[in-house]
Amino acid sequence: MRELVRQAWTVAQKDLLLELRTRTAIVSAVVFTALVLTVFNFGRDPTAVATIDLAPTILWVTFTFAAMLTLNRAFQLELENQALEGLLVSPLSRTSLYWGKLIANLLFVAVVEAVGLPLFVLFFNVPVSHVLVPLVGVIALATLGFVAVGTLFSALVIRTRFAELLLVVILLPFLLPPLIGAVQATARLLDGRPLSESVGYLKLLAAYDITFVSLATLLFRYTVDE
Amino acid sequence: MSLVHKGRAITLVGLALLAVDYVRALAFTPIERLQGPAQKIFYLHVPAAIWTEAAMVLVGLAGIGYLFLRDPRLDRFAAASAEVGTVFAAIVLTTGPIWGKPIWGTWWTWDARLTSTLFLFFLYVGYLLLRGAVVDPGLRARYAAVLGICGMFLVPFIHMSVYLFRTLHPQPIILKPSAPSLPGSMLATWLFSLGVFSLLYIGFVTQRYALSLDPTVESERTAGHA
Amino acid sequence: MPDVPHNAGYMAAAYILTAVILLAYTISLYRRSDRR
Repeated sequence: MRELVRQAWTVAQKDLLLELRTRTAIVSAVVFTALVLTVFNFGRDPTAVATIDLAPTILWVTFTFAAMLTLNRAFQLELENQALEGLLVSPLSRTSLYWGKLIANLLFVAVVEAVGLPLFVLFFNVPVSHVLVPLVGVIALATLGFVAVGTLFSALVIRTRFAELLLVVILLPFLLPPLIGAVQATARLLDGRPLSESVGYLKLLAAYDITFVSLATLLFRYTVDE
Repeated sequence: MSLVHKGRAITLVGLALLAVDYVRALAFTPIERLQGPAQKIFYLHVPAAIWTEAAMVLVGLAGIGYLFLRDPRLDRFAAASAEVGTVFAAIVLTTGPIWGKPIWGTWWTWDARLTSTLFLFFLYVGYLLLRGAVVDPGLRARYAAVLGICGMFLVPFIHMSVYLFRTLHPQPIILKPSAPSLPGSMLATWLFSLGVFSLLYIGFVTQRYALSLDPTVESERTAGHA
Repeated sequence: MPDVPHNAGYMAAAYILTAVILLAYTISLYRRSDRR
């Protein structure tokens, strides 16, 4: 178990270091997030629809797009320099390879969300400080779900022709249940409703995470091995 | 009798019985008082929806079987089931709105069955696109199995999220299209219809499976994979 | 008791469309296997 964690962290560190040096993915995702939020602002009439009604949807659509952007780069790096083969012949277990990728992707998306949330609060004047902790909890739960499945699927599409597009298409149905849970829970939180009203959706998110993180861990080896 | 001919025979019997089903449903089943003749769409819509979902579960099970046994026949079956599932999904998604318009007043209603089938349709499209994008047959079988298994596990989450959304967002329910208890004659018609669709599923899958066996087809030349 | 709604047109449309989809798929399968 310790060995697994150590190996996973090694893989994650490699990805993080690579990204820190070039910073392209994170910068693009952050810029993209800001752009999307801006577009949403111009796409509505503030006198006709209250911000608070649209806010959860805006937030989550933005986060989903940003997550997908970051996921696209998950395996591209290795593919470019045939480093994937190198990783596979190393003594790293397949599970730690997946977990390493997962951790790195989660951290990337977390950075984008950490920038996106304050921007969202700023642009749309949505008060979140009173529900910040549960909101971050909801964001974390949903993000784990997206990224767990997305990391697995990125391994499926790397050798295909329209990889980025294919990733989005196969991933989309898997994003819908956690997205539903996240948007509904967020809406209730922003509305000042007690957390107990979101329990059903929180259970959905938790069950989704447990199921798909386990499933992805089990299935990952089939994406890289004979 | 070759598999192709067996498949054709089953399908033809299925289509003949479909004609019988049509006559029974249209002429010999009572008209529902509140919904009128349009309610009869139910006899086609619901069995098709059941098989849309069953076909996806079978794709997933075949995927699990393939990863354990590496039998290419399981992969060929999965490919066949996915294609047939998509056809049935198309039936649900077209008959649904045609039913919805006279009953609910709008073409599209986000009711549980229609929404779930839409999700399943997206899953099928993604699955078939992935299959189309991976050239190597062995790789394709493995990747498709991974996606198929994930799809199967997504099905309960689709139901959960649709259920949560609908119970916490009550839509004005004027009529209940799928009455839990059908009077005798209607139930008999519905069961007969389900039988016909089951037969059609078997016939179609058999034919589609047989298609993937032919050695003269370009993509089937390698190692017997679909 | 209110009159039974007159929406047989929708019923017909749905039944015809379903038959068309099933027949089209049947024909597609036939033609694909006949190319052998």
